[in-house]
Amino acid sequence: MINLVILVFIGGAIGAMAREFLMLGVPELSDGFPMAILVANVVAAFLLGLVTGLHKRRAVSDDVNTMVGTGIMGGLSTFSSFVYGAVVLMTASASGAVVTIVYVLVSLVLGYAAVLFGMKLGERGASQPG
Amino acid sequence: MRALDVMWVGLGGGAGSLLRWWIGRIVGERYRGSFPLATFLINVSGAFVIGYLSVLFSVDWRDRYGTVLNAGVLTGILGGYTTFSSMQLDAAKLAGSGRGQLALGYLLLSVADGLIAAALGAALARVQG
Repeated sequence: MINLVILVFIGGAIGAMAREFLMLGVPELSDGFPMAILVANVVAAFLLGLVTGLHKRRAVSDDVNTMVGTGIMGGLSTFSSFVYGAVVLMTASASGAVVTIVYVLVSLVLGYAAVLFGMKLGERGASQPG
Repeated sequence: MRALDVMWVGLGGGAGSLLRWWIGRIVGERYRGSFPLATFLINVSGAFVIGYLSVLFSVDWRDRYGTVLNAGVLTGILGGYTTFSSMQLDAAKLAGSGRGQLALGYLLLSVADGLIAAALGAALARVQG
């Protein structure tokens, strides 16, 4: 139990810091499109799918799954900034509503595709040696 | 960004993730349905709080660090507490088990309620302020 607490805490800390660094590295678009949050969320969705697929075929342990899946990817991805950014964008300018709808839909579709692709990739490795 | 900001984001992210994990366990013990209730409740409540705190303390949503509030609480705790990736994984698992409609409904409901919650949180802070 205490081990899981440590794994989730350390993982969440790593993930949140990675998101912060990602925000510094990804340039902001002129129309206010929150590209950095989109990238963090889609990357986290892909990697969460990957570790879930690997865990399903026991290529990674329960502990790794908890630390990476629950901790790091939960910390890297964010729902609160995603929806709050969308709310702010909606009212920010005349074209805000369009940007918001595009942002939300692109996030959902890319995020879903990313997690599916990650899972497939993680599960498929079963046929490979090692 | 200073080293102190990184520390606050890390501490907050760790604490928020623990809170998410803990709530997930509590909800999981009491609710056995197929709707991903824990992640839904976590995300919608986190959306409300970020809207509320951002307006109450006049934090621009692009300012991710610089103070304990935006680095530690907004970027750290709330970012670690809420999760976009688990929401997508929940949906993919539902769809994979033949519940595609529930998966789509869950995604749309999460986003719609999340948007409403963030707007309500912001509105509450405006009324107070």
